[in-house]
Amino acid sequence: MMDVGRHPRIELMTFSEVESVTGYVGNFQVTVRKKARYVDASECTACAECSKVCPVAVPDEYQQGFSSRKAIYLPFPQAVPSAYILNMENCLGNNPIACGKCAEVCEKKCINYDDQDELVKIEVGVIITATGMQVYDPTEYDEYGYTRYENVITSMEFERLICAGGPTEGHFIRPSDRRAPQTIGFIQCVGSRSRDGRGNPYCSNICCMNTVKDTLLLCDHYPGIEAKVFYMDIRAFGKGFEDLYMRSKEEGVRYIRGIPGEVIENPDTRNLTLTVENTTTGRLEKHELEMIVLSQGVIPRQDGDSIRKLLTLSTTSDGFIMESHPKLKPVDAPTRGIYLAGCVESPKDVKDSVTQASAAAARASILLNAGKTKVEAITSQIDTDKCNYCGICAKVCPYNAILAPDRKAEKAPIIIQAACAGCGACAAECPQDAITMRHFTDEQMMAQIEAILEVEPHKHLLTFACNWCSYAGGDDAGTARLQYPTTCRLIRTMCSGRVDEKFVWHAFRLGAPIVLVSGCHFSDCHYISAVRWTQKRMDRMWNKLDKLGIRPERLRLEWISAAEGQKFAKVMREIEDAVKAVTTEEIEFTMKVLAEEEAKNKAKKEKRKAKAAAEVTA
Amino acid sequence: MSDNTKVQETEKHQVNFAFREKLNSIAEGFRHNYCYQCGACVADCPAAYYSESFNPRLILLKAILGFEDELVRPDSEIWDCTNCYTCSERCPQDVRPVDVIIALKNLCVKEGKAPPLVRTISDTVLDSGITTKVTSLTERRRQELGLPPVKSYPVEDLKTMLEGD
Repeated sequence: MMDVGRHPRIELMTFSEVESVTGYVGNFQVTVRKKARYVDASECTACAECSKVCPVAVPDEYQQGFSSRKAIYLPFPQAVPSAYILNMENCLGNNPIACGKCAEVCEKKCINYDDQDELVKIEVGVIITATGMQVYDPTEYDEYGYTRYENVITSMEFERLICAGGPTEGHFIRPSDRRAPQTIGFIQCVGSRSRDGRGNPYCSNICCMNTVKDTLLLCDHYPGIEAKVFYMDIRAFGKGFEDLYMRSKEEGVRYIRGIPGEVIENPDTRNLTLTVENTTTGRLEKHELEMIVLSQGVIPRQDGDSIRKLLTLSTTSDGFIMESHPKLKPVDAPTRGIYLAGCVESPKDVKDSVTQASAAAARASILLNAGKTKVEAITSQIDTDKCNYCGICAKVCPYNAILAPDRKAEKAPIIIQAACAGCGACAAECPQDAITMRHFTDEQMMAQIEAILEVEPHKHLLTFACNWCSYAGGDDAGTARLQYPTTCRLIRTMCSGRVDEKFVWHAFRLGAPIVLVSGCHFSDCHYISAVRWTQKRMDRMWNKLDKLGIRPERLRLEWISAAEGQKFAKVMREIEDAVKAVTTEEIEFTMKVLAEEEAKNKAKKEKRKAKAAAEVTA
Repeated sequence: MSDNTKVQETEKHQVNFAFREKLNSIAEGFRHNYCYQCGACVADCPAAYYSESFNPRLILLKAILGFEDELVRPDSEIWDCTNCYTCSERCPQDVRPVDVIIALKNLCVKEGKAPPLVRTISDTVLDSGITTKVTSLTERRRQELGLPPVKSYPVEDLKTMLEGD
């Protein structure tokens, strides 16, 4: 951090919050709130005189509350910039009767009680999100007594107690009597790998090796200490990790496979007793320990939602930010020009964070050095003459690539070509048909539908398949030589969100027995959330089919991923039977009803047009 | 050990998929198959504390492997469970060992493999609505203590309710 702070071409803004982000790749406008720190950081020499006279003492957050700090303080010894900061919530204020002592002793006169937050506007080309994570609070696990017993601590607190810069200067003592413990237990997976509503279902990745490291530190500092680790699985999967684990075992640390039950404290000795089944022997064991460390898991930042909304990012079910592709684009966010690094994406250790950060920096520099970006020629385009300023396109765009229209000013929406990814949700939703998707135009789609249903339409299954998942799923079925009926005819769209209602109606009008729309599963939509609009549109169409007296089952929706060739073949086989079950009368009835419906709509439109024309002449 | 008995041994310890399916259908689906044998259910189990043979973790393991012969029998260890639900509270995987054990107990009763005592108790409940028989001794002691006689319960209603299942 010191190096970053000193670098001539890096501007480090600490104690600042991002207020808003607008724009798109290469042209982001970011507003940053530089919070008032009430001390001029460029003048402060960190002489600590102010802190000495400050009468307020509050628990030190950095030391996990084990020691206290003043209202004017240095957050931690290596803080960058190396300048004091005044917490106004703790400060007594500058009223001379109340206090004002720090300003009196400051030789540099750099304390300003009237400091204000400052809004800074910056323009950047790319953004790397590295907002980190938080640790899990084990209060929920009441059986371990974290809130009741002083000698039950978390691994974060352990870190402060064993650190040379910690409140005890590295002397490891237990909180109740400030004595070095002789026996210590570690309980693993507190808040991780848990599906019962307490904690999180995922593995937190770092806690196993953190505990192994902790036991080695203890054995190194206090030879002869008896350390026991209660675990269900030790996941030592990285380079050199297994060696470290074995070294810990060689040092005499006991690894006991079993998750303990209730922890009970002896009120006289303040020692803790826990019962555990040693699952390797199948016996119940009781262990008396002087101290217990809960190996807490990690959770996403609880205030991360604001960043997520600002950058239109989505999260996975565990709350961490979703990457663009789990294997091929692990550091890219789905929104172009935004990259991820570190624990904001998933729990990871220092090495993995550094790796990801380096990758993100390299990915970012590709864009920055080129100075321009290539956009695939499949973006959307708007015909401003047809637009009636309803603003639906801006609402459905998952990338915020469409600037909303202004009805009063008759300002049509603007599509930012650099930000558009080409899903086509806007074109499908536009009630005026004012949006054209390049290379997936309405005319092209209609022509494909007509060609498929030209000969013997009742024998063909018309399928809309999205480029990334379902079309690739079909490929997968093909390369795996899976057998499925030959009746299906695929129309490729970039996203299932492109499938306009009118395509489906057109297909039914031309005598299609069944229409299948298929796309990516909800969680792996390649266009952030465009697939949700598919679902909404399908619901609408099923309703309409029902109202018109047509079986809604004739319009099918299936989520098929690129790896689900098996499912693709299975769905095709299933639908083949359904295609055969559709009778000629049914198809004729559908064609008739839909033709009537279309004629009615046309007449209505004509009438409206005539009326408008009459108004103009009048 | 002859080769013959060896083969029998392995057959006995082969995974019985049919029994697994059967148990899945009565024990609220697939949930208990998520058990990763961490032993959290054993540490605070009062039955395991007093009986060395009782171990909810091993019962779950046997259930997952489908060891029907060892679980569904009158002297099976499942009958030591006190239904206190501590294991369900501790389990990180939401396996609910008690529910599996109750399902196994029901299976035992259905197949007539429950211990005789269970039959006696359930008969008493059907006859009188309570689990313990009221004897003349009970009545006498109650009279001595100045307590009213044990009131009778609407057993017919109870029977109607139970028939519904």
